[in-house]
Amino acid sequence: MSAYLNTRVSLFAGRLWRRGDFDAVLGVSDAEMPDALVERGLPLLAVGFDRRDHRSLEQRIIAQVLDETRILIRPLSGAARDFLIYWTERFEVSNVKTLLRGKMTGERPAALINRLTPMGTFGRLDVQDLAHAEDVGELLRRLEAGPYAGIVRQARRAFEESQDPFLLDAALDRGYYEGLAHRAQSLESEAGAPLRRLMGPLIDRINLVWLLRYRFNYHLPPAQVYFLLVASNYSLPSSRLRELAALGSVEAVLEALPAKLRDSLEGATDIPAVFARMEAFAAAQATQVLRARAPALCRAFAYLILRERDLRSVRAILRGRHLGLAPADIRAAMYLPAEGSA
Amino acid sequence: MFRAEPLVRIRLLILASETPDAALELARFGVFSPAQYAPEALAESSAEAYREAWLEAESRVSKLVERCGMTDPPDIPPGAAAPTLEDLNELNAWLKAVWKTCLSCHESEARIQEELHHLDALEETLSKLERLNVDLAQLLRPDGLLDVHIGSLPVGSVKRVGEALSMTGSLVSTFDHTGDQAYAVIAGPRERREEVRGLLSQAGWRELPVPRELRTHPQAARAWLTEERKRVEARYSAGCAVMDAFRGQYRSGIEEARLRVALGRPLAEAAVAGVRGRGSLAVLTGWVPKRQIRALKAALEDRFHGRYWLDTEEPGPHEADQVPSLVRYPRWLMPFVPLVKSYGLPRYGEFDPTLPFAFTYLLLFGAMFGDIGHGALILVLAAALYRKLGAMAWIGIAAGAVSMLFGVLYGSIFGYEDLIEPVWLSPLHNPIQMLVVAIAFGVGFITLTLLVNAYNRFVAGRRAEALFDSAGLAGLVFYLGAVGGVASLAGAAEQALPAWGLALAGIAAVAVFKWVETPASLGERALVTAIETLETGINLFANTLSFMRVAAFSLNHVALALAVFTIANGLDTAGHWITIFLGNAVIIVLEGGIVAIQALRLMYYEGFSRFFSGSGRAFVPLKLAGAK
Repeated sequence: MSAYLNTRVSLFAGRLWRRGDFDAVLGVSDAEMPDALVERGLPLLAVGFDRRDHRSLEQRIIAQVLDETRILIRPLSGAARDFLIYWTERFEVSNVKTLLRGKMTGERPAALINRLTPMGTFGRLDVQDLAHAEDVGELLRRLEAGPYAGIVRQARRAFEESQDPFLLDAALDRGYYEGLAHRAQSLESEAGAPLRRLMGPLIDRINLVWLLRYRFNYHLPPAQVYFLLVASNYSLPSSRLRELAALGSVEAVLEALPAKLRDSLEGATDIPAVFARMEAFAAAQATQVLRARAPALCRAFAYLILRERDLRSVRAILRGRHLGLAPADIRAAMYLPAEGSA
Repeated sequence: MFRAEPLVRIRLLILASETPDAALELARFGVFSPAQYAPEALAESSAEAYREAWLEAESRVSKLVERCGMTDPPDIPPGAAAPTLEDLNELNAWLKAVWKTCLSCHESEARIQEELHHLDALEETLSKLERLNVDLAQLLRPDGLLDVHIGSLPVGSVKRVGEALSMTGSLVSTFDHTGDQAYAVIAGPRERREEVRGLLSQAGWRELPVPRELRTHPQAARAWLTEERKRVEARYSAGCAVMDAFRGQYRSGIEEARLRVALGRPLAEAAVAGVRGRGSLAVLTGWVPKRQIRALKAALEDRFHGRYWLDTEEPGPHEADQVPSLVRYPRWLMPFVPLVKSYGLPRYGEFDPTLPFAFTYLLLFGAMFGDIGHGALILVLAAALYRKLGAMAWIGIAAGAVSMLFGVLYGSIFGYEDLIEPVWLSPLHNPIQMLVVAIAFGVGFITLTLLVNAYNRFVAGRRAEALFDSAGLAGLVFYLGAVGGVASLAGAAEQALPAWGLALAGIAAVAVFKWVETPASLGERALVTAIETLETGINLFANTLSFMRVAAFSLNHVALALAVFTIANGLDTAGHWITIFLGNAVIIVLEGGIVAIQALRLMYYEGFSRFFSGSGRAFVPLKLAGAK
């Protein structure tokens, strides 16, 4: 089965975009855009690409990712299969957040359902039932009786205490990523170093970016910031995160990072730049795993990370064009070097 | 019974304000299946808002009905009118208020339960703290340097909370666990109290209320706990009384709401297929049996007195894929319908194989499992399990009866071949004759399937396929010619030359048809034609031989029984009868099961795959549940 999955991943890897593809799409006219997207393997995005409906664009991107994930998990079983399925569940956690926000603003169920990402065969929530909950309290209780009970239970308690939607979102995100890290840990005995190479940059990026945001944008106290981070054993273990959370500025935090991470972030001074650098680092790691003789699960996971990154870049280009931004501005927003440069 | 009922497409134009009543009338009529065929000029989704409001009302009513324990469906009086959109919006506002009241009752019930759990925990805490000999009054002093909390948090968070609290100079000490909750004391410097509280609220911390009495004297604390428990239990009883009063107060209103929701369902469901309109005009489109058009017109006239326009149109031969199939079966045939539907639904206009399926399936089962005793046992077992199996039990009863009939023909009873004389032949003593009969049956079966396939293609307007394809009449000519040729070779007939001539003509027609139908380059065309023509011959030959299994299984039945008797005869009397009993049980369960599957396989693979597309769409009429 791993031979099949390896072959399948290698075939899929041909769909990943190169720098030239982004440059080409940035440069084509509106009339040429559908063909350019179809040529580069994104027919789902080509249809109605000029619609200024961001929700629909997002839904089509996720549909593409789910479609490919469905094919990749076919030969997998057990914990490896569960891991990749769990990786898709972050879209459903995002649906949970949409439902909660919709209930907070008293949105009508039909409108709310329209805004949710269709999960197809990966869907575990009864969205019709949940969208018809009367308020946040009822919704949370219903969620607690469903597949995301573990993630939601603590979030509900936190929300009941604070009534703060931000803390609700933060608790849901933390619950999800702790679940991911936990599942990855149980696979590390068989998937080993390649899986750590993928998970490490992912969880470290989440922790560092959240830490900076919570601490310096939302001004939460250090202990609370630390509590909201994901417990893990990658480059930023708990003891290091505690030290970082106690520091008083972005610069101080970046300065106190482990040497390897600090070097990779050299020159980044704000949170979006930190995010972009760390994402680029994670993508580089994923590319190496994809090209190496890594276990099939790791190669599949690496492909999905890279594919999603590509699709998000395409989304940024399409949105930028909808907003009438110049290609150079879109490039800058995507942290792409100027065309022609190395 | 052999094909779907002829349908006509209807377009019912009505005033938009009367759409709910029109949908209700169509649901009362009972044979209208909605589908989207509105003219382009009427492009507005006029029932979308109605469906949205109905879904909200339905969801609230369902929740209230569940809470109030109403189980019977509402009675719908004959003349009741459907709610308008305004009615539904009004109903929704009322239902929302009622549900919120119900929800708050439920929430307060849940809170009281939690309070009771907390009191239990507090009592535990008290006994533990007593044993620790801790001076609570001192520990919980509001003016002390230490800020102390006693409470619970999720077990999974304890480590993380401990680490986070260490950043504020606080300590966590757990002293008990119940379920997923850990009970803990947290102590830290008072000046960082707010920071700790922020963290604890994020961590799902529940503070245990420690009363003043608990801080002073243990006896007083116990008395306080008892009093507190009484107070909470009284509140719980009051809450139950409130809920009972709620049910009493709103029951009739909720019943009325259920009725309105039931009356609104037809339009809400029709809206899924698409009710279109423009301005004050709306159109409901779908399918109705042709023979009931007059009755429908009468019903509409009676209800709307000319304020409607009904347009009907028969579907064209190329629209069969879009038309749903409405097939009516006699009651005795109903148990076999699910077995056919598990393969597929007959397409509109297609031959419905349920009746021949029922007969042929039973015939094949009986032929492969012919035994008076075993058949009787199957019959009795199926009849005994009637309550559990429902209508499906009739398949078992019929299969048992046919098995008994073949048992008489074969002279077999519980595997004994010499107790009664076979009326027809004994498979054990005439195996070649059994094989010949099985193959002859297969030839007849395949001939029938080819004829039905030609009919289906002809009805669907694919006349060239009906005449010249490998599964059409040309294929049939080839097949019959080849069968005649083989029979002549075997000495069963004297018509070798005309038979092979017929076969040659048939296969030549198939080859020419394949050549014409293949849009490809010359080489590819030649290859496809050669392979598909060859495949025609091989498939028909293989499919015919496949029926040899009928004879093989009838022999297998006898052989299994012989094996049981051989083992039983080598044992003493008790062992003999135990072996006979167990052997027969194995034969019925194991061989019976295999034969049932083999008969189904023959029907699906050798039969249905040749002529039955199974690609039909179900006719799903609007229905009114609970109508009188």
